[in-house]
Amino acid sequence: MSLVAEAFVSQIAAAEPWPENATLYQQLKGEQILLSDNAASLAVQAFLQMCNLPIKVVCRANAEYMSPSGKVPFIHVGNQVVSELGPIVQFVKAKGHSLSDGLEEVQKAEMKAYMELVNNMLLTAELYLQWCDEATVGEVLEDVDQCCQALSQRLGTQPYFFNKQPTELDALVFGHLYTILTTQLTNDELSEKVKNYSNLLAFCRRIEQHYFEDRGKGRLS
Amino acid sequence: MGTVHARSLEPLPSSGPDFGGLGEEAEFVEVEPEAKQEILENKDVVVQHVHFDGLGRTKDDIIICEIGDVFKAKNLIEVMRKSHEAREKLLRLGIFRQVDVLIDTCQGDDALPNGLDVTFEVTELRRLTGSYNTMVGNNEGSMVLGLKLPNLLGRAEKVTFQFSYGTKETSYGLSFFKPRPGNFERNFSVNLYKVTGQFPWSSLRETDRGMSAEYSFPIWKTSHTVKWEGVWRELGCLSRTASFAVRKESGHSLKSSLSHAMVIDSRNSSILPRRGALLKVNQVELAGYTGGDVSFIKEDFELQLNKQLIFDSVFSASFWGGMLVPIGDKPSSIADRFYLGGPTSIRGFSMHSIGPQSEGDYLGGEAYWAGGLHLYTPLPFRPGQGGFGELFRTHFFLNAGNLCNLNYGEGPKAHIRKLAECIRWSYGAGIVLRLGNIARLELNYCVPMGVQTGDRICDGVQFGAGIRFL
Repeated sequence: MSLVAEAFVSQIAAAEPWPENATLYQQLKGEQILLSDNAASLAVQAFLQMCNLPIKVVCRANAEYMSPSGKVPFIHVGNQVVSELGPIVQFVKAKGHSLSDGLEEVQKAEMKAYMELVNNMLLTAELYLQWCDEATVGEVLEDVDQCCQALSQRLGTQPYFFNKQPTELDALVFGHLYTILTTQLTNDELSEKVKNYSNLLAFCRRIEQHYFEDRGKGRLS
Repeated sequence: MGTVHARSLEPLPSSGPDFGGLGEEAEFVEVEPEAKQEILENKDVVVQHVHFDGLGRTKDDIIICEIGDVFKAKNLIEVMRKSHEAREKLLRLGIFRQVDVLIDTCQGDDALPNGLDVTFEVTELRRLTGSYNTMVGNNEGSMVLGLKLPNLLGRAEKVTFQFSYGTKETSYGLSFFKPRPGNFERNFSVNLYKVTGQFPWSSLRETDRGMSAEYSFPIWKTSHTVKWEGVWRELGCLSRTASFAVRKESGHSLKSSLSHAMVIDSRNSSILPRRGALLKVNQVELAGYTGGDVSFIKEDFELQLNKQLIFDSVFSASFWGGMLVPIGDKPSSIADRFYLGGPTSIRGFSMHSIGPQSEGDYLGGEAYWAGGLHLYTPLPFRPGQGGFGELFRTHFFLNAGNLCNLNYGEGPKAHIRKLAECIRWSYGAGIVLRLGNIARLELNYCVPMGVQTGDRICDGVQFGAGIRFL
């Protein structure tokens, strides 16, 4: 489809309300999904929970082939299929739900910067750990430490990164940190680095309790 | 001495893989008469020697098996008939470009007064033949390279390789064929291939990489083939707008199947037969037995009857049907289901555009039946009789069929009822052109009827080209 036609279709879709049967697709838990994909999927789930939009999670072995961009997770809403956190945030915004509308321009820029930081540092560390496992792991851990330090400083004692209301940055950070903390790896050093920062741990616990347990979804596996 | 040209008898029906049917042309056999003019027809003769000229790499044992019958001839007419049959069998092996037969009296010390010598003068095919074509299709150009090595090791083994390199897709196939010496209908072949297909009616793209091994053998008048095939299939969406039902089928799967097919073919030609019948039954049984992750049992059959009527016209009736039953709880894959509709199936409907569909993408069905009644007549006023005009026929047809998914929990009565409701059918007339013994072209005016919501029709003029028509 041409760019114009795609824009037109998404405008039409934007007018429809969020359906009850919206679904999120990811690979099978346990035996198939990778560290980085799990983090991405959790981030999207947390984001949609924060927006108060119902979503059902379906695990399928061919999820990455079903996705239009080849990346997981993707959501199937009405007739539309959207993949990855960035486009999903845009899509949800077009439907009139947004977490970062209340922020000022400066804060929005700051949020984008922190999201890039997480993507560059934490995501790279996860990718590195799942594919290689060698001597340069020292440098990777350094980067992770720096990233966590920056996040911890920004968070301080606030409940969320931009004080009272959660934003997509909170969802993204939660997705990555929770995955790192809870996935069994051959090397525990990554999760040890994160555990050094108690306010990040509390942050993860808080989001898990508020958005996943309290909604009757039960503990995340 | 003068030479006598004798008109030969009807050729054997062709069944070898490389045999480009000689049709009903006459063959000539040279016979040299003796010095005394005698009535040779019923004179007892003995075939003393059979000579072969021109053998190179061909081994003796397969030749001996094919010409064994010539020695059994008792009189001249039988010698001519048996040597003609031997010539047909030698050509069927696919290793000779030309075979000429010469029958002469025996000369030499051990010659009997009624002894004959039969000489086969053969020209073997070259060791390697190649072909190169360029093709232009739907927004795609490709070059196709073909290589053939006939008679590789001297016993009619054949290796063929085809490679197609296109702007969008690349595909190739390698195949090895070996007949059993003396029994050409028993043969086995091994194939290796990668083919890609684009199916716009389902918004689906499929890439198959696979190998297969098959063994064919005759039992009385039927020909059976037993085959094992292993395919790695990759399905994908052809466009961003593919329906979600097709999107769900994307990904990789492995199919490993054993199948058995039986063919009885008494037609005189496979393209526009004048008489005879064809029954083809294909049973496929799958996975869980030989590995892979698709599991089903699939049955498919094809029946065709032809009868010649007055004024050189032919009446033909055909019936196709099939059923796919998944084993276990996984649903069937879109790549295994049946499709219906199109110029080679139910005319008047668009290609494969009948049956279950989702957002305009046709998903195929697990059970189908289709039938056709045809009347072929020569062109009115018979233009170009005896020449070009003979390749054309006028054609009146009636097609009907149905494609649906069955609920396998219910009994056979419910299945028949489901297949009998919502029948699509069409009628019309047109012209058929026969392309050698390989394919046919049709140009028809069609009127589709019984159209259900979701079907796509092609009423009016429809063009079709292919090998297998309903």
